[in-house]
Amino acid sequence: MTGTGGTAAGEKTSSVGLDGELVLDYVRRGSRTVLARSRSRSPWHLSPSMALDETGSACTFLLNPSGGLVGGDRLSLCATLGADAHAILSTPSANRVYRSLGEPSVQSVELTVGPGAILEWVPEVTIPFAGSRYRQTIHAALAPGATIVIWDAIASGRIARGERWSFTELSNEIRITTASGGSLLERGCLTPTSNEDGVGLAGGWDYVASLYLVNDQAGAEGWERMEESLSGVLADCSERVLGGVSQPAVPGVAVKVLARSAPDLDAVWQALWSVIRGQLWGFQVPALRRY
Amino acid sequence: MDSFFPSGGYAFSSGLEAAVQGGAVRTGEALSLYAKDFFMQGLGRREAVAVARAWSAVARGKGQGAKEADWELEAMNLCRETRMASRQMGRQVIRIVAGQNPSSILQDYLAEVETGRTPGHVAVSLGLTLGACGWEKEEAVAAYLYQHAVGLVSASLKLFPIGQREAQRLLDEWTPMLSTLSGAAGEQMEMTAWTPVQDIHAMRHKRLTMRLFRS
Repeated sequence: MTGTGGTAAGEKTSSVGLDGELVLDYVRRGSRTVLARSRSRSPWHLSPSMALDETGSACTFLLNPSGGLVGGDRLSLCATLGADAHAILSTPSANRVYRSLGEPSVQSVELTVGPGAILEWVPEVTIPFAGSRYRQTIHAALAPGATIVIWDAIASGRIARGERWSFTELSNEIRITTASGGSLLERGCLTPTSNEDGVGLAGGWDYVASLYLVNDQAGAEGWERMEESLSGVLADCSERVLGGVSQPAVPGVAVKVLARSAPDLDAVWQALWSVIRGQLWGFQVPALRRY
Repeated sequence: MDSFFPSGGYAFSSGLEAAVQGGAVRTGEALSLYAKDFFMQGLGRREAVAVARAWSAVARGKGQGAKEADWELEAMNLCRETRMASRQMGRQVIRIVAGQNPSSILQDYLAEVETGRTPGHVAVSLGLTLGACGWEKEEAVAAYLYQHAVGLVSASLKLFPIGQREAQRLLDEWTPMLSTLSGAAGEQMEMTAWTPVQDIHAMRHKRLTMRLFRS
């Protein structure tokens, strides 16, 4: 930055962004999970964890008061759950990624889930604005008996403005590694404005989401039941979304969903989450109190 | 590549059967859009790179790179039916080829597949095979992609009213794209894929009430 606080003409845009860091360590104390240690650096803002219900879980909202990611932003988040802890990580609103003529906006997430712990990573949708460049990695390492739920959704853009699939670049990598070393990996890179065919057949939709649920100690029979139940949810919503469910290379289920509107996507997500929580733990979906 | 090679590919449709039954693909034009997307955003960036890595493993005389590509494919193929189809075809290929070719890298790979130490995906089996047979890398990748294209049109002939001439026309139309993807696939590239529509149809295949194909 220049001495006056502005950006000098010709200065590289890479110097504009912020290196944000958020570290969250959860432990189980008695019947509750607490945020035992935390650290944050702008643009992350640390918000206290909440107990949303009687399940003992801790819910933390990931706050970025700057309103979104600009080119050159490099945000990292590292969350660790001790044995038998249970945390829900979400966001208060959509993750907006602004147009960048230079550097990408980068978000790197490292999740470590201890033995018997449960982590639900359920942020709101990411909205990549026209001309934005976004790179996200989510790497999760699970100890024996750990469970992770990852919901990751992107919108085609600012749909109300008629802006669809006009970001410059979006790359996303989600890797979940179990204690045995097995992995589930989603890795995609989209450059719709430089591709003749845009984003291909998905271009007919406005929301694309992935849902992963992994636990290496649940039996194959349990995953068959879960697959069947989630498939039933998708069938019930088939007028509004296109979705499929299967079993990945690690013990668990993988779900893909395409939707044409945010309410449709949210409705199917709430229904899927409700089945997962009910079937695995007998819990209801918490009211996240976003709005 | 001889389409009569007994890899068992005729039994799989890569989710096309579910797409047809779901009404997403009913014409040659729709098939072409489905396939082009599948190749350009999926197979051409993921499996094609795995073929190139396996081919390069032969060139270097070290199978480790092929095994790493194999496990990466295993992790990235989120649909169980697709993953199992690829493994079954790959196992068939390497069993047949290793029975006729004494190349140590093929023999070692077969042993690893048979003992479950590597998954044995068809892209890797074929890359190793064609590398050991002296094919050029680009030819090996092209062979994999073309074989998959033939599989798609063969399946479509059984699934909806498309004539053989239209099927041949589609293959001809896709050939330049397959050639471009073959030239672009390099061992240094990161394996990526983004084909949510095809992934979803592949996932839905298991629950079709009537099925001609196994995937």
